[in-house]
Amino acid sequence: MKKIFPIYQKHSKLAYLDSAATALKPKSVIDAVCDYYSFYSANIHRGIYEISEEATKKYEEARDVVAKFIGAKSNEIVFTRGTTESINLVACGWGEINIKQGDEIILTVMEHHSNLLPWQILAKKTGAKLKYLGLKNGQLDLTELKNILTSKTKLVALTQISNVLGMENPIKELATQVKNYNSDIKILVDGAQAVAHIKVDVKDLGVDFYAFSGHKLYGPTGIGVLWARSEILDKMEPLNYGGGMIKEVSLYDSILADGVDKFEGGTPPIAEVIALAEAVKFVENLGFDFISDREEKLMSYLIEQISNIPNLKIVGQGSSLMTFVIEGVHTHDVAEILNRYGVCVRSGHHCAMPLHEILGVEATTRVSLGIYNDKDDIDNLIKGLKEVGKIFKVKLPI
Amino acid sequence: MDDLYKEIIIDRYQNPQNRGVVEGGVEAFEVNILCGDKLKITAKIQDGIMEDVKFEGGGCAISMASVDMLLDKIKGKKIDDIKKIKGSEIEEMLGVELTSVRKKCAYLGLEVVRKIVNLDKK
Ligand SMILES: Cc1ncc(COP(=O)(O)O)c(C=O)c1O
Repeated sequence: MKKIFPIYQKHSKLAYLDSAATALKPKSVIDAVCDYYSFYSANIHRGIYEISEEATKKYEEARDVVAKFIGAKSNEIVFTRGTTESINLVACGWGEINIKQGDEIILTVMEHHSNLLPWQILAKKTGAKLKYLGLKNGQLDLTELKNILTSKTKLVALTQISNVLGMENPIKELATQVKNYNSDIKILVDGAQAVAHIKVDVKDLGVDFYAFSGHKLYGPTGIGVLWARSEILDKMEPLNYGGGMIKEVSLYDSILADGVDKFEGGTPPIAEVIALAEAVKFVENLGFDFISDREEKLMSYLIEQISNIPNLKIVGQGSSLMTFVIEGVHTHDVAEILNRYGVCVRSGHHCAMPLHEILGVEATTRVSLGIYNDKDDIDNLIKGLKEVGKIFKVKLPI
Repeated sequence: MDDLYKEIIIDRYQNPQNRGVVEGGVEAFEVNILCGDKLKITAKIQDGIMEDVKFEGGGCAISMASVDMLLDKIKGKKIDDIKKIKGSEIEEMLGVELTSVRKKCAYLGLEVVRKIVNLDKK
């Protein structure tokens, strides 16, 4: 598997265990970017010449590929810069129209700052109120939901897979409960950590908005997706006004384009969109059965091995990522020493400061898996962790 | 690079000499957003002299050892001299070469000390 990821040609010993931050890119994705810039780097939706038509065709085909990937229709897929922009688009383009003073937005305590700040800002602007679903035994506490839903609730926004705790939240069950209570309440799902690991079908989930990033899905940075049903998109406002998103413009008034074009003002990241489709094809060709089987086996091996490290406490664990702390050693030092073994892990609060506060840890070290990882990577990690113990003279508990 | 975790740094991290609070003193606080290090320094300054100074907080070995050693260095010194301490002196003090990321950790103590000595001005 490592052969198809060119980065290993330069860094043959790399043990990249930070795919939750961003995944490495397979050759097919890199080639797609290169091909666009090398052979048909024209703007889209404009030129009446051949290479522009080719670029336009590939760009729109990419929309079809992405739509199919998450069980959606092409006219429901908006290309954005990433999960963060997708959520901000909903907060501004939908929230500012639909959220009023006294309305309530339900979030969870495990949200990434990207699914927290847009709502904090919206709440401050509109006078709406934020409410939180908490944790129980390390899982999302769904039983609380019925106590915090009210006639004022307008939106529930939550992550599908936590980027710190790793577990998958019961989105479908939550959606059923929310919609049974009041079908007008909208549900937004942050799919940033999900799309590379589990099969997503937005219709089946029963939600209204779904956001994800290309770069965690083996695709390029700078490209992401917002899915919403076309009835909702039609009534939303874009973030950017300008070229490419209009039907008619006169000096004092304009008519915006229909459908998703309205949200893609300006020249979009064409190469990134085309390469995102390539990343989706890469994942689809592997298949989610293969992916989760491989990741789960490796995760079991990791957990088995890591349990032997003295004073290491697992903070959260899912099928593709786990976080831990080593008593007496700061996570930054852990990451630094691991780096000497070519092991890349994430240290810090992973853009989830409130969650760390609740968990009562200042910072954690996170190991996250991608499709290229193997037992060698885990073995290197363990070697590095043993060295951490040596340097910091971590003693086995008596 | 390989001696970043020298004995002295680990020792200072695990057995700090200057942890605590100077009661009734001035205080300053800073965080290192990258890794969540938090540092609070309290100090008693009299007649332009750093009479006593202590720190509280949590962070990596480099940031904690660095502040602990720095407080040794500034205790009893003239505020005017403390103001002149440069970043490079921190590296000399630790006796290691730091990457730009680790400089953020190592300089955290100096940053807070600078806040403290500037408070004295008012
Ligand atoms: C759960 C979650 N949401 C949102 C984001 C933000 O994604 P991006 O930085 O690609 O916009 C991340 C990425 O770190 C994430 O893990």
